[in-house]
Amino acid sequence: MLIKRILLLLPILIAAALFQSYFWVPTFSDQTRGGGDERLRQFITGSIGDAQILNPILHADTASGAIVDQIFEGLIDRDRDLSYRGRLAASWKIYEEAFFVPHPEGPGAKALVERIERARGAGEAAWLKNIDKIESIDPAEQKTAIRTPPAKGEKKPGKKDIVIAYPERVKVTLKSVDQDLFRHLEKLLGKNGLAKDPAPYVKTKLPKPLLPFAARRVKLTEHNPIIIFRLRQGVRFHDGHEFDSGDVRFTYNAIINPKNLSPRVPDYEPVKRVETPDRFTVKITYKRLYSPAFGSWGMGMLPEHLLNEKKIAAEAKQKGKDPKTFSLRDSAFNRKPTGTGPFKFKEWRSDELIRLARNDDYWEGPPEYHEYVYRILPDPLTQEITFYAGTVDRYGAGAHQVERLKKDPRFQVFSGLGFGFAYIGYNMRRWPFQDARVRRALGMAVDTRQIHRYVMNGEAEDITGPFVKQSPHYNRSVKPLAYDPKGAERLLHEAGFRKKDGVLMKDGKPLAFTLMTNHGNEIRRAVGTVVQDAWKKIGVKITFSQVEWAVFIRKYINQLNFDAVVLGWSMGLDPDLYQIWHSSQTNKGQLNFVGYKNPKADDLIIKIRQEYDLGKQVSYAHALHRIIAADQPYTFLYVSKWTALLDRKIAIARRLKGGRLRPEKIRPTITGNFSFDFNEWLKFPRIPQFEN
Amino acid sequence: MGAYIIRTTLFKLVTLFIISIVSFLIIHLAPGEPSQIDPLNPRFTQEDLARYRAAFDLDKPLPVQYWLFYKKFFTGELASLKDNQPVFGKIWRRFLISLPLFIVGTIITWCLSFPLGIAGALRRYSVFDRSTTFMSYLMISMPSFFLAYILIIAVVQGFTLPFTDYHVPGLEVSVLGIETFGRGDVSPLFRINDRIWHLVLPSLVGAIGGIAVLSRYVRGQMIEVVDSDFIRTAHSKGLDENTVNYVHALRNAGLPFVTMFGLILPGLIGGSVIIENIFAWPGMGRLGFEAVLARDYPVILSLNFISAILVVIGTFISDILLVIVDPRIRL
Repeated sequence: MLIKRILLLLPILIAAALFQSYFWVPTFSDQTRGGGDERLRQFITGSIGDAQILNPILHADTASGAIVDQIFEGLIDRDRDLSYRGRLAASWKIYEEAFFVPHPEGPGAKALVERIERARGAGEAAWLKNIDKIESIDPAEQKTAIRTPPAKGEKKPGKKDIVIAYPERVKVTLKSVDQDLFRHLEKLLGKNGLAKDPAPYVKTKLPKPLLPFAARRVKLTEHNPIIIFRLRQGVRFHDGHEFDSGDVRFTYNAIINPKNLSPRVPDYEPVKRVETPDRFTVKITYKRLYSPAFGSWGMGMLPEHLLNEKKIAAEAKQKGKDPKTFSLRDSAFNRKPTGTGPFKFKEWRSDELIRLARNDDYWEGPPEYHEYVYRILPDPLTQEITFYAGTVDRYGAGAHQVERLKKDPRFQVFSGLGFGFAYIGYNMRRWPFQDARVRRALGMAVDTRQIHRYVMNGEAEDITGPFVKQSPHYNRSVKPLAYDPKGAERLLHEAGFRKKDGVLMKDGKPLAFTLMTNHGNEIRRAVGTVVQDAWKKIGVKITFSQVEWAVFIRKYINQLNFDAVVLGWSMGLDPDLYQIWHSSQTNKGQLNFVGYKNPKADDLIIKIRQEYDLGKQVSYAHALHRIIAADQPYTFLYVSKWTALLDRKIAIARRLKGGRLRPEKIRPTITGNFSFDFNEWLKFPRIPQFEN
Repeated sequence: MGAYIIRTTLFKLVTLFIISIVSFLIIHLAPGEPSQIDPLNPRFTQEDLARYRAAFDLDKPLPVQYWLFYKKFFTGELASLKDNQPVFGKIWRRFLISLPLFIVGTIITWCLSFPLGIAGALRRYSVFDRSTTFMSYLMISMPSFFLAYILIIAVVQGFTLPFTDYHVPGLEVSVLGIETFGRGDVSPLFRINDRIWHLVLPSLVGAIGGIAVLSRYVRGQMIEVVDSDFIRTAHSKGLDENTVNYVHALRNAGLPFVTMFGLILPGLIGGSVIIENIFAWPGMGRLGFEAVLARDYPVILSLNFISAILVVIGTFISDILLVIVDPRIRL
């Protein structure tokens, strides 16, 4: 019977066809040993997600960031101790030009220049010695535009062009940036030295309600910090074209070009202009004091010769797209980039792998690895299996795995603290959170150690303030709130709360509120449960609720409609806290949603972002840290630890004379970054023994 | 027949139009925004966020957005919000990767379900029938991700036999991805077989649920037909067992499955999120899943709309097929 035979034979044949393929497949040991040395010269890393866009000015995800960092290079980066280190820039200089308008009733600019010169001749003060040059400059007109409140019947704000006419001004060139310059000058020149009223300098006739808007654009005093970068000569892009100052200017222009929709725009907004006096010099002038801006030059530099307007227009034409809307964002470059970094782009198979080959022409000498491979392994268990099998070299262990994997002799273990912290934030616009004692008491009632141990599996540490814990700005002398429920009750008693039927009451109102967090975050949910329990014990009536992330942000956080929240911040290394802690950022949709307002803190926040001297900046940061810790607008819960595993056969390969390689132990930086020396890494055939 | 085709085509166009509106509304009414718009990034001002919303047309009223979206969809200008790559190119590349998985999975499902179902029906309540029934329910109840993990670990690392100390060694080969990672230049024969090997586990996991369900259907259908009058007549005519079972009975029992054939079509675009994630298979399911996570509206809506079109075409094909195989049906 034919049909019967087919029904029986077909499955057998198919199964045979499928399973015979096993005999053609190499085993893991063939794979890791096979190919001889080539596997040792290959670094393979795994990632949950694929990169999105391989362009340093456009990417916003960590996967793209990891690849972009290998292909592109910035002018500077951070050294082992977090100080800045030149990459494409060989050296740099930071100084300042400052301007001020003389008081209309006082002596003119020329007379003021003379007075300052005289003081400089006689003076001993450091700020006077810091002055390099002082001169008066001719009157000038500035065209600008102001945004006006929406006209009747319209939603969008209007725009009006205005002209500001500056009289003769004084220009002071300083050897180094000094945010206190005008304060010193005011003291020196007296009441009639510096102009106070901006209104007379608005030349355009304006209706009265618009005057204040225009006056705000008049700069009676102006700091213009300047950075001069001297570029490294002879650095070439992967296609052989030499890197020069034009590429820096191009990269800057590409970022601020609104068509490109770069997420980096805010970092470069304070830039006034970028000039290129010669092929290897870049001069960047800023509109105002903003010290974190220096770090932004770590941005990878784009090749102008591949992406200039002509090239982009030609690409648009070739693809049959409208050149008006076709931008850098649409360019094929983002999927096969060219940079100056230690690795060159080779291949990208979406959601599968990205392959980079070493750049033999790298200015600092080529990396030891021949290939850098980024595998996309979306499932955690899958990633673990590939790591054990040796087809991935690096693995980020989950908190629950650390105990077990630390003991495994096949791996070397690195761990460090994350850049960020988890906290409970209190809405200080609402009763009873205006009272610092209440916030402090609530913090004291929570045993953060318990959260570290049971919620975070021990992979967390105390944190007491808003700075990165490994950075110099973090004030280590601030002690964490001690767990002290009795003390908390005393403090609440002091604040006027009395227990009635086990609930704390004040003025007939119970101490009751809602603690919220976003849905889907298991850790925050567990934290919420621990906190809820701790607060109930001291007599706080509390409800805990979880809301979907987007709704949580839009309906509750942005609308400032919450009592207390469990959330976390991830941070960068720069110590600018303006958006999260300054009192001007407490409106709807802004990030100081807890409504923290402290004039002393405001002052320090401004000083920190304006200070270019690290020592001074650190001392301001320490003071600010202390104030915030005293005010307890947040209960700081923890900073989490990460643990990464690396095949133990990987070490730093030092080249000795005669071509011999000596293995050296991998040394992490102070932030815990162990791949700092990645270009010197190599996989040895056997686990290396280190000579000390 | 001609009139029928015209009528259904019109009906299906209307259905598609309604689907397009509903899916568009659901996506836009759901909370969240494309991942590029990050309101909690301290560096972004409200103006920056507004700039992004404008660039993605999200500041326009919904009907305008709807019109713009489907205009771009039909002119092929649609680009992903993530990387500005054309959506259709992306979908097509992923489709080609998911296709072998789908084909092999379907072949395994159909080739195994029929023999199992028929054998169960012909030997009703025998040990074989009972054990396949039990296995079917076990497999229907087992979550596919769990089965996938168990299979991967068992195949790669081996397992210890229950109640003994005997460890079955694992195969120590790559089972993840579409081919063994990091193989340089090898002959095409090795390469093809390597790819086939990487199809085995994921398509098996994908097929097992299908086999469990489909073989039950086949068994049920077969039992119904075997009990009917014309089969008894065939037996009494003295036809031999095999002819009765495989010619008369099977043909009639197979009719309902013709309709299912058309409905396989939408499975082409769906892919399987879970299987593709676990087996690191860069296919359609992953594309859709990541798009949902990043609220990449153009990709989500395109996938949705294409699968709607495929469902509509699939049901149409089923109707036509049924007419062809069953002369009793007139349209």
